[in-house]
Amino acid sequence: MRRIRRVSLVDVILWGIRIGVVVFVALGTFLTLSDGLLTGENWRDLLIFGIAQGSVYALIALGYTLVYGVLFMINFAHGDVFMFGAMTAFFTADALAAPDPTTGVSLLNANPLFGMALVLATAMLSAMLVAVVLERLAYRPLRRAPRLVPLITAIGASLFISNSVRGLYGERILGYPQLEILRGTFDLFGIPVLKTQAVVIVGAALTMVLLYWFVERTRTGRAMRAISEDKDTAALMGIDVDRTITITFAVGGMLAGAAGVLYAIVFPQVHWFMGFLPGIKAFTAAVLGGIGNIIGAMLGGVSLGVLESVAPNLLLLGFGVPSPNQLRDVVAFSVLVLVLIFRPYGLLGRPEGK
Amino acid sequence: MAQLRRATVIGLVVGIVMLYLAGVGLIGAFANREVVTEYLSLGQLMLLAPLLLGGYAMARQAASVIQRLAIGAMAGGMGGAVFALGILAVLALSPGIRDVFIRINENLLSFVLFGLDPGPGALLIVGLGLGLGLVGASLPVVPPSVRRGLLSGVAGVILMSMLEPFVRPRLTDFDLHDVVVFLYQARGLRPVAALVVFAVSALLGLGWRPARAEVSRRFAEADPGAQRMWRWVAALLVIAFIVTLPQLTGVFLTQVLVLVGLYVLLGLGLNIVVGYAGLLDLGYVAFYAVGAYFTALLTSPTSSLGIGLNFWVALPLVVLGSAMIGLFIGAPVLRLRGDYLAIVTLGFGEIARVLFLSDALAPWFGGVQGILSIPDIIGEGTYALPLLGEIRGPAATYYPLVGFCLVAAFVAWRLKYSRTGRAWNAMREDEDVAQATGVNIVNYKLLAFAMGAAIGCLGGAIFATHLESVFPGTFNVLVSITVLAVVILGGMGSIPGVVLGSFALIGLPELLREFAEFKLLVYGGVLVLMMILRPEGFVPDVTRRRELHEAEEGEEDEGDDGDENLTPRDATQPAPIQA
Repeated sequence: MRRIRRVSLVDVILWGIRIGVVVFVALGTFLTLSDGLLTGENWRDLLIFGIAQGSVYALIALGYTLVYGVLFMINFAHGDVFMFGAMTAFFTADALAAPDPTTGVSLLNANPLFGMALVLATAMLSAMLVAVVLERLAYRPLRRAPRLVPLITAIGASLFISNSVRGLYGERILGYPQLEILRGTFDLFGIPVLKTQAVVIVGAALTMVLLYWFVERTRTGRAMRAISEDKDTAALMGIDVDRTITITFAVGGMLAGAAGVLYAIVFPQVHWFMGFLPGIKAFTAAVLGGIGNIIGAMLGGVSLGVLESVAPNLLLLGFGVPSPNQLRDVVAFSVLVLVLIFRPYGLLGRPEGK
Repeated sequence: MAQLRRATVIGLVVGIVMLYLAGVGLIGAFANREVVTEYLSLGQLMLLAPLLLGGYAMARQAASVIQRLAIGAMAGGMGGAVFALGILAVLALSPGIRDVFIRINENLLSFVLFGLDPGPGALLIVGLGLGLGLVGASLPVVPPSVRRGLLSGVAGVILMSMLEPFVRPRLTDFDLHDVVVFLYQARGLRPVAALVVFAVSALLGLGWRPARAEVSRRFAEADPGAQRMWRWVAALLVIAFIVTLPQLTGVFLTQVLVLVGLYVLLGLGLNIVVGYAGLLDLGYVAFYAVGAYFTALLTSPTSSLGIGLNFWVALPLVVLGSAMIGLFIGAPVLRLRGDYLAIVTLGFGEIARVLFLSDALAPWFGGVQGILSIPDIIGEGTYALPLLGEIRGPAATYYPLVGFCLVAAFVAWRLKYSRTGRAWNAMREDEDVAQATGVNIVNYKLLAFAMGAAIGCLGGAIFATHLESVFPGTFNVLVSITVLAVVILGGMGSIPGVVLGSFALIGLPELLREFAEFKLLVYGGVLVLMMILRPEGFVPDVTRRRELHEAEEGEEDEGDDGDENLTPRDATQPAPIQA
């Protein structure tokens, strides 16, 4: 009996890529670590920064995952919803940061908790509004269309939202006011952590716990999960599908708005084009964790953030590549490409076709 | 009662659209662009058009004519009132609100109030809303041919006034100074001239359909020999027109034509990938960039290779190299599902840009500085053509570019109706069924990808020699999306569609310089609106149209329970056969 399995060109290329990636990662890591260019403290700082950045990605990624869960579509404009929230909240933050003429202290610094709550509320409400309007006007008419049609619509919507913001708020780069109490670092078991990064990590974690509770424990959350299992049966069981989809978009938008404010705490500059890269990266995070899977999106976000801040240094420094941090976007996109090629259902997802 | 509610909703939408147009800066940008000198500017047209459209949208469903007009006027009036209230609110909140919405300034406010005080201005807007709503509502009542005439009359007037900066110098060049004086005053049309232009283009619009019907009838009746002859005559006329176009239009418009031609080429390439094979490629710019950079490396004497080849020697190498890269990139990703493929290709596009930009690869690709002194496409940028004489400037690129476009269009057209084209068709409609009937999915996808890559990099090569330099900043994701918009507007899978799309989306914005910063806004809007209203495009490809409207055909006998068939997988399945 002869059993010859035909090896196609594509298989050869795929194996070539696999081997190449493994060799590259191993060699790069070995060279960098044996050179000892960066100290342990450097690595620790990169790691913490990565976690902070990753938790913002995770919040945005949740929006992708929620929408994908119910509609099976990539809401390409989600990054711009995030941008809109951050940009709109800037004006609240800016108004609150104006110093009081009598005391000379701004409201934001005098009462930071209340001030941040207002900023956060602005961001979440405005982002939610955009997400809901987007769903109503652009996506709802296309529920029955072939798969690529809503995706192209979403790309168009992304361009439309970002350029509307460019027109309405201008092309300027807006500097977020910084909070006095978030200056400097504090000690966590002897490790100095930047306060801004700590706030972002804690804030994101709290939001994610809330979301998990919402999806797993409330009636609406159950309706969302039912729709993602089987839309037709869910409708037969008396679930209002359209309403639930709207709520999904609203929740995703609110998460994006919150992410916008947290992002602005770490990188205190916002502008009309800021939604694109975090959007794509959050999508990568969602896919990395397994799209449609909530825990996966959180995990994927944090892993991508860490990978993005650690990997360029770890892999490229050893080869003597100048300024490897310029290539962090390449790392993110390579992760995206590799995950989609080799494990499109992500770390926690299940293969297509169940 | 339901009608009244609808009127209120439409009025609200119209008002919000008007406020948006003002806030986003469109109205302000076109405020000084006059259509009819001293009477009408493009900004006013933009401000008022939503009122008219609101009335039109309203009147399509009412029962009697009188009811239509009344409801239409109400919708228009509501729209005007909402807008006026918004403007008054802005005035009340000034100057604080101007820190947020930077386009709102004195000029804009006085423009939208027609230079009047807030009170009378607001009343005037409401009055105009009533009037225009009425006019809009009466449009569905008039016969379609008259409506078409009116529409083309208005379009003619707008086009003539928009073309002023190009028509005026050309007419002067041809010694037609009197015509210029008759037509234009300052930057707009003279009122009398506007009437004449309106009448002429309205007549053209009225006569177009009957004339076309007559021509096609006679053509169908003619014997085969005469038919063939007329085809040749038509083709020759078209070619003669294309060849003499740079001579007619002058240097600036030729520059625009070169840009349009580049996008025609890119669109033809992407059309093979998206339109024929149904693979959404958002990283098309990668091939464009690779083509441009390969050409730069091979032909520029100052590049890192420094061999300074002739363009025509380098071209085959570039095209082959890019096709190989297309194969290499395509092979791993083509097994992915449609929407994942889109995102992965987007990732590739960005990787290409960041790599070309990075310091790490700067010794080869020049980093931010790019690569300079790329030689011209033919000789030193000037050459002589029979009958046309010395060719220089943008026209020197125009002729080879048109040649490439024709070749690419020919290839695309032949591919479409070949065995390969049918395989692509089958694959796009249903991958599983195609595979089951013996289509080698992977090979055909790879072929489409490589074809698209080859044409895209051809565009990049011409772009590089035309600009004589390449910079990484040029090759961002917006290029991919622009090409996608070009393909979508014309119609996926349609070759004339690509030409139409390039002229509308690349050519028109160049004519209106004020428009530049709103280009992307409009592309985004075009993508969304086309997908919702007319996914098959303006010059649809027949098969593609049927595919996209399958779901709706199926809908008819399912009634309107909106939740059925919601999963995208189901939506791609063939419509049930109706009894």
